[in-house]
Amino acid sequence: MARADVAVVGAGLAGLTAAIHLAQAGARVQVLATGHAATHWAPGGMDVGATPGARSAQEAVDHLARLDGHPYRFLAGGLPAALAWLRSLLDAEGINLVGGLADPLRAIPTAIGSTRLAAILPDGMAAALPPWAPGETLVVCGPAGFREFWPDAIAASLRRGSSWRGQAGPSRVEALTVELPGLAGRHNLSSLDLARSFDDPDWRLLALDTIARAIEGRVTGPGRLALPAVLGLTDHPAVLAAARARLPLAPFEVALVPPSVPGLRLFAALRATLRRHGGRIQVGEAVHGRLGETGRVELRAPAAAREFVLSAGALILATGGIAGGGIVAEQSGGLVETVLGLAVEGPPVGARLLDDPFDPAGHPLESAGIRTDTHLRPVAPGAPDSPLAANVRIAGSLLAGQRYLRERCGDGVAIASGRLAALELLGPGPVGAARAVAAAVGGTAQR
Amino acid sequence: MTIAELVAEATAQPVGLSADECLKCNVCTTVCPVARVTDLFPGPKYVGPQAQRFRLGTTLSPGSGGLSVVPSPDRTVDYCSGCGLCTSACPADVKIAEMNNRARAAARSGHRPRFRDWLLGQTDLTGRLGVLAAPLANWSLHNRLIRMLIDRLIRIDRRAPLPRFSRRTLRSRLGRYRRSAWSADAPPPDRAVVYFHGCAANYYEPHVGQAAIDVLERNGFTVIVPPQVCCGLPLISNGLYGQARSRARQNLDVLAGYARAGYRIVGSSTSCTHTLKAEYREMLDIDDADARAVAGATWDICEFLLDLHEQGRLDTRFGTLDRTLPYHAPCQLRSHGIGLPALDLFELVPGLRAIDMDHDCCGIAGTYGLKSEKYDIAMAVGAPLFERIRTSGAGQAACDSETCRWQIASATEANLVHPVEILAEAYAAGDPPNPAPPTRP
Repeated sequence: MARADVAVVGAGLAGLTAAIHLAQAGARVQVLATGHAATHWAPGGMDVGATPGARSAQEAVDHLARLDGHPYRFLAGGLPAALAWLRSLLDAEGINLVGGLADPLRAIPTAIGSTRLAAILPDGMAAALPPWAPGETLVVCGPAGFREFWPDAIAASLRRGSSWRGQAGPSRVEALTVELPGLAGRHNLSSLDLARSFDDPDWRLLALDTIARAIEGRVTGPGRLALPAVLGLTDHPAVLAAARARLPLAPFEVALVPPSVPGLRLFAALRATLRRHGGRIQVGEAVHGRLGETGRVELRAPAAAREFVLSAGALILATGGIAGGGIVAEQSGGLVETVLGLAVEGPPVGARLLDDPFDPAGHPLESAGIRTDTHLRPVAPGAPDSPLAANVRIAGSLLAGQRYLRERCGDGVAIASGRLAALELLGPGPVGAARAVAAAVGGTAQR
Repeated sequence: MTIAELVAEATAQPVGLSADECLKCNVCTTVCPVARVTDLFPGPKYVGPQAQRFRLGTTLSPGSGGLSVVPSPDRTVDYCSGCGLCTSACPADVKIAEMNNRARAAARSGHRPRFRDWLLGQTDLTGRLGVLAAPLANWSLHNRLIRMLIDRLIRIDRRAPLPRFSRRTLRSRLGRYRRSAWSADAPPPDRAVVYFHGCAANYYEPHVGQAAIDVLERNGFTVIVPPQVCCGLPLISNGLYGQARSRARQNLDVLAGYARAGYRIVGSSTSCTHTLKAEYREMLDIDDADARAVAGATWDICEFLLDLHEQGRLDTRFGTLDRTLPYHAPCQLRSHGIGLPALDLFELVPGLRAIDMDHDCCGIAGTYGLKSEKYDIAMAVGAPLFERIRTSGAGQAACDSETCRWQIASATEANLVHPVEILAEAYAAGDPPNPAPPTRP
């Protein structure tokens, strides 16, 4: 039986945030996950909140924090610190987050030619954020033969003013499909293939040269360049620098369907940081567990022939919501939390879940999750003040009461709850003590 | 057959039917080491769960007599190396690598196997013959002209890392008392273990087998080495399921008695132990009481030693080994789902600074990288690992799987050892200088 101070189940943004905090404070941390997902599926920006009428991310967060039962009610206060922590972590790994909570939510183009609201993005995407000046041209450029990014269709849609969510868009939108060197005849050209090609210093110069020459013949005047998010996987900072130097327009990456290259970069940065601080991560099997009589948590994962058993002093559940696999719906209509079998707050058994999956208010399953107290300890339905276990914390999309697809709060809830869960376990309990621990943790990092 | 019966049969085949859980998210493609380096393999999703729909579609039609895997609609499945990383990474628990392996076997069934693939599966036969004529065999298999001929004739790459035959097998070095089949007068299971040496330790690297036995004995175990044949993995990898089943049966017949009597079966080849634990059931559909007993009793040696340590029973009087040791965790070890026990054990050795190379795959994947059409792919897959080991400056590196060791050694010229050799060395270093000489042959 393996042992750890803290087990974290789930290797998405929330789980890794918690695990890194704990490892940095010297705890022996083991991350277990069924597989990779959240980071590999997400666009790779920091969605902390975007609600109708909110002008900045902070306004959206404030609005959500006033909603009954929303996790931001007790997490919003810690969001700035969580974001600052993540910013400095990613900075050390070569990913710079541009934009902050106070910045305006801007409509940025998507790979289907719509826009979405964002305020905080990695610098590869950040050139999409500033307001469009009169006379600016947007060139949407993609490689020929790449099925996940269609410049003509994207441009056609972005030419419609209604695509820009009431904000001013570019004056002109041009589509440009380029034959990148050596790609003709490659079937199944994927975002990974392209990103790895860009990692090659020689190839990227040729490719950027090809793109630059194609633009120079067609566009004059100020403008920006939308490219698919494939500007390097392992050597992204160098690719971005080369792109900025060679291209006549400011380039920005547009997130694609999974697998998300910016998400893979984010995951690699978090994983490397965790490992550097001695944290462990094991990905492969579905984990289930129970609370032991001795106050420890026992986790089991199916392994070849025998179960892998981990005994941990505490547990952070960051397994995701209904989309991430932390909750599954049974045929009866009941909802089950997959690791401990905790009671799920959600639509009642027998609710007609398929009546209107696209209801503007959000699907009822979206807000399903585990109800906790303000210390992220799970509580039973109807007993908000009696935590079920002192050494279990819930983080990320598994928390009840958020509609992360509608509210775009998933990343913010993930980092704020991941951080709080870790600080809660490091300190003796109340937030005041956790703050003292936070200071101590900061001290360790500086040493 | 009724629909209910079809469904019942379908759910009894979790490998093929797990394709139904696929979300098409392509997470598997992000971790595939082969798709990373070549266009010849489009990635696990396409040849796995995506193509599986067509395989199952055919067989689910009424009157088909139930489910069986039909030939893959996509021949690129042959380029899957079987490393299993896709299965680990899948958030929906789809058995992708296993699906591909079955599809490849189905694609080959009904044809006479390629001589090369047949030969690579016969590790028992080649091992026995090679040891008999070791000097000649080693000379010829490392002679450039002969290797070119072999490459031309049967397509085993002339540059591929082939091991050297030992002049004596491990078994012939061991006393007769160790070779008995199951007998009731063996020491009780808490004081004896069964050792599964596999082909590599028997024919090529008896020093690894000796180190494993020494370390087990050091911890108070009598080591029983019953008759055994190849675990069958090289046959499974080359699509020869029928032959693999007969090897499995021979091993199970011998090992099941020990397993039922409570003995643990410990192996030093992490791919053999994984085969005993999982592949007889998942690949070969052998799921009887014998197979389950043996699977449940089988331990990889580092897993076993770490378990001893967690029970406070491991002798930790290790001497100091003051060195940096790059460590590569083989794909097959990761398929065990037991973490990286070698690294935990290395932490117990004073002075030893083991560094996890943290690379997906060395490329060889058993016999994959030996094949002429795949050699370059295998080398490209392992290239970052080779570079990391070279730049580490350490002349020695550790890895739990023999074929990975041979691949890495040939690419880096480092001395590759099994973790248990390091532990044996550390025990020797901790012993008083005089009596027991080190155990390396």
